[in-house]
Amino acid sequence: MRSRRSPLPPLQALPLRLKRAMFCVAVGCLILLLRLWYLQILEGDRYFTLSANNRLRLRAVEAPRGFILDRHGDILVENRPTFDLYAIPEDITSPAEVAATLAEILRVAPSEVEARLAEGKARPYQPLLLRKDLDASMMVAVEERRLDLPGINLRVRPIRAYPSGGTAANLLGYVSEVNQTQLLREEYRDFRAGEYLGQSGVERRFDAFIRGVDGGEQVEVDARGRALRLVNRTEPRSGANIYLTIDRKIQDAAEAAFAGKKGTVVAMNPTTGEILALVSRPSYDPNLFAQRISGEDWQRIAGDPGHPLQNRAVQAQYPPGSIFKLIVAIAGLESGALTPESKVYCNGAFHLGSVKFDDWKKGGHGTLDLRGAIVNSCNVYFYQAGLKVGIDEIVRVSKAFGLGEPPGLGLGDEAKGHLPNPQPRKRGQPGWSAGNTVVSSIGQGLVVTSPMQLLSMVSAIANGGTLYRPFVVKRVVSLAGDVLEEYEPEAMHQVGVKPETLVFMRQAMMGVVQEGTGSRSKVPGVLIAGKTGTAQVVKKGEEKRQPDLKDHAWFASFAPVDNPRIAVVVLVENGGFGGLVAAPIAKAVYEAAFGIGPRYAQTPSPPAKEPEVLD
Amino acid sequence: MFDRRLLTYFDWGLVGAILGMTVLGVLTIYSANALATSAFRQTLYLRQLTWVCVGVGILFLACTVSYRNLGRFAYVIFGLSLLSLLVVLVLGKTGLGAQRWIRVGPFTVQPSEFTKIALILFLARYFDDHREELHRPQVMILPAAATLVCAFLVLKQPDLGTALLIVFLAVGVMLLLGLSWRYLVPILVGGGVLTPLLWHFLKDYQRRRILVFFNPDLDPLGASYHIAQSKIAVGSGGAFGKGWMAASQSQLNFLPMNHTDFLFAVLAEQWGFLGTLLVLLVYVYLITRGLQIAMESTDFFATLLAAGVSSMLAIQVFINVAMVLGMLPVVGIPLPLLSYGGSSMVVTMLGLGLLLNIHMRRFMY
Repeated sequence: MRSRRSPLPPLQALPLRLKRAMFCVAVGCLILLLRLWYLQILEGDRYFTLSANNRLRLRAVEAPRGFILDRHGDILVENRPTFDLYAIPEDITSPAEVAATLAEILRVAPSEVEARLAEGKARPYQPLLLRKDLDASMMVAVEERRLDLPGINLRVRPIRAYPSGGTAANLLGYVSEVNQTQLLREEYRDFRAGEYLGQSGVERRFDAFIRGVDGGEQVEVDARGRALRLVNRTEPRSGANIYLTIDRKIQDAAEAAFAGKKGTVVAMNPTTGEILALVSRPSYDPNLFAQRISGEDWQRIAGDPGHPLQNRAVQAQYPPGSIFKLIVAIAGLESGALTPESKVYCNGAFHLGSVKFDDWKKGGHGTLDLRGAIVNSCNVYFYQAGLKVGIDEIVRVSKAFGLGEPPGLGLGDEAKGHLPNPQPRKRGQPGWSAGNTVVSSIGQGLVVTSPMQLLSMVSAIANGGTLYRPFVVKRVVSLAGDVLEEYEPEAMHQVGVKPETLVFMRQAMMGVVQEGTGSRSKVPGVLIAGKTGTAQVVKKGEEKRQPDLKDHAWFASFAPVDNPRIAVVVLVENGGFGGLVAAPIAKAVYEAAFGIGPRYAQTPSPPAKEPEVLD
Repeated sequence: MFDRRLLTYFDWGLVGAILGMTVLGVLTIYSANALATSAFRQTLYLRQLTWVCVGVGILFLACTVSYRNLGRFAYVIFGLSLLSLLVVLVLGKTGLGAQRWIRVGPFTVQPSEFTKIALILFLARYFDDHREELHRPQVMILPAAATLVCAFLVLKQPDLGTALLIVFLAVGVMLLLGLSWRYLVPILVGGGVLTPLLWHFLKDYQRRRILVFFNPDLDPLGASYHIAQSKIAVGSGGAFGKGWMAASQSQLNFLPMNHTDFLFAVLAEQWGFLGTLLVLLVYVYLITRGLQIAMESTDFFATLLAAGVSSMLAIQVFINVAMVLGMLPVVGIPLPLLSYGGSSMVVTMLGLGLLLNIHMRRFMY
């Protein structure tokens, strides 16, 4: 308790002022009552008539959604006008004739149209939707036969359009009508049934900005609900435009290089975290959702065993395979368990007790130092390196590079991946064994990562040890040109690794591309650093019998080595060897980014070390 | 700590009035949304009923421990409330657009509501600590600064209504303390000069609402539509109202926000002038009772606390009703005890509980 106070009051005037306050309350109440008297008693009859004798109705006019553009202002998502066919049952003089004409135009049975018109009988003045999104020929037919179709009219409405179909679809997302489950939830309480909203990707995350404000028409209606006149109209206000960090040129190149494959390509500026391209396959055509999607199409997309709705770059996780050797090497250099000079003789296999672990190369690599082991992706070297470094240190460095945590792109659920959690052997339970460490050292077993996590990881190696939050939206700009939001690079944390370790890693990774397993990504004029990976999906040998269970092909890389501007991770599901399958796709991405190669030969810009496309 | 004799001094009349109002609120929310298409809206009254139960629990809980103990933590509470406002700002930044709520488990909490009570506590404690120096104008500087910081943070959320309320509340308490008009006039003039600056911080929709208030033709479908429909609803109630569940204007979705800020319009349509008169008289009773409690108490801290809570109620009721009647711009302030909303209910009950608390212990200090 607080110490007792000496008795009050020193302020004699206080009670007086409190009395004045009461007086104020009375006056305030009186003001409100006078107003109520005026509204309810004096004007009551007038307002009663206004409320009873039908009144103003509000009719929503849908606002066009904002565009989504790439970093240079190229349109990725826009709107197109669509025409819906409506009937006002009351105005249809001869339903049978109208139904027959319409059936002919819409190419359906007349009975179907008649049945639909009959549904509108209950509310004859309400516009009745007959068909959404008429195609051009039907529209022309309706216009031509307007005189035969009293009470039938067309209404124009903006609809979402993705001009390049499935390009970056998993990143951009799609829009569709708000569904029944959503309507029951509090956050959707202000949505009308049938209203469109973003359901995934950027469309969903930035829906509040993109959607704009619906306009409306204030219509005076008579007692039976018929519109008498348009009292007022507020134009809808278009949503804001979203400028992405995506570079259309790089995106297109990645899409083209990935054609027919399953997996993902992600490119990012390693010094900022800006995503430059994101491909995820199989994909889907978001245009299907923008019109009301047919049950058939929905079944096909949702039931596809390839999960086309999944954004594989962030939502899927795979064993990293040999890419993980980078982590083991860093952990070794940091803990002192390895030095660049540490040598191992590889004869093609490693024996731990009675268990034999094979190298991918029959006959082995001979004597290798650490750089040679990375360049040739020698398994035997890393089996032993992993044992020397110890699983705890490997896990610690993995965490420092962001593995095991969602990378933070923020477009919905993100895979966390998985890291080993070595437990000492307990009675009755298999604990962590040296064999587990051996397997983990080449990125198999209990190590699982998402492609985005590996992209952040190689970016940190490239930029000198900073983990940036990957982001895909650069700016939100209103229709009037005001910048509503601007997103800046966000350094999440430092990996805490010695600079010389990272210098060594960059040199070794450059060797991978120059002379090692990643040489198929080589682009003349640009020094690329990378690491290949081939992640086993099933037990060795098994894949020969089941070709759809072939190894996953990885390639994680960045360029130019001394001034990194772009980092690229490629994953081809069941693609085979990383160096053979994934590296050439990265090469196509680099060619586009740096404007080099046959496809970009006409561009006059020289093989630039500082490409302008990547500002 | 709890003394059975305290029950003797329990103000059952006040409790009765409070309970009556909350029940009226639930019934009105039920009738206003019974015809809504969304299942969520149809069950709003059940949620409100839950909040009433929580609120009544808090009302009694707020009486159990002496208000003096609360006073000891006044500065800490105020600090925490500032912190939570900052948290909202930060979360709001990443959560796109306006965000006034923090998610705590299954609930969303609106910290700006709690700021009101935290500020009252802070002011009461501060002036109590400095009661010997009240004649010195410098004493007013820190409270004024604290108020402006609160108001600014709330405004940034953006919640113009609560920000204004916070300023009015602090000015009210200072006036009670004898802040002379000589000081107040320069403050008001200064405020007038700063208004354009304030304008700069407002969101587009807030500016529009204020402009529309002065020129309703600017936005026939938005804010002016609300006001026009609200006036029709109130006026059409006439002298005796259309009766419960029979208020077409407010039920048929002509009146937006009929369960929160415009609840009074529903009441007015259903019960007419008679009903609104009664409701306003109950509010006057609650507020004057609070001021009486302030006068009776011999403890300066308690006096300020009670006066602060009463001012909060008075200002909120006046602004909300005046807004519904088209006398003030639409700024978004809930009607205490009646409007739908958990945070508002809890905070109002907390305030009223403090009044009961002070009343019970008026002979103890």
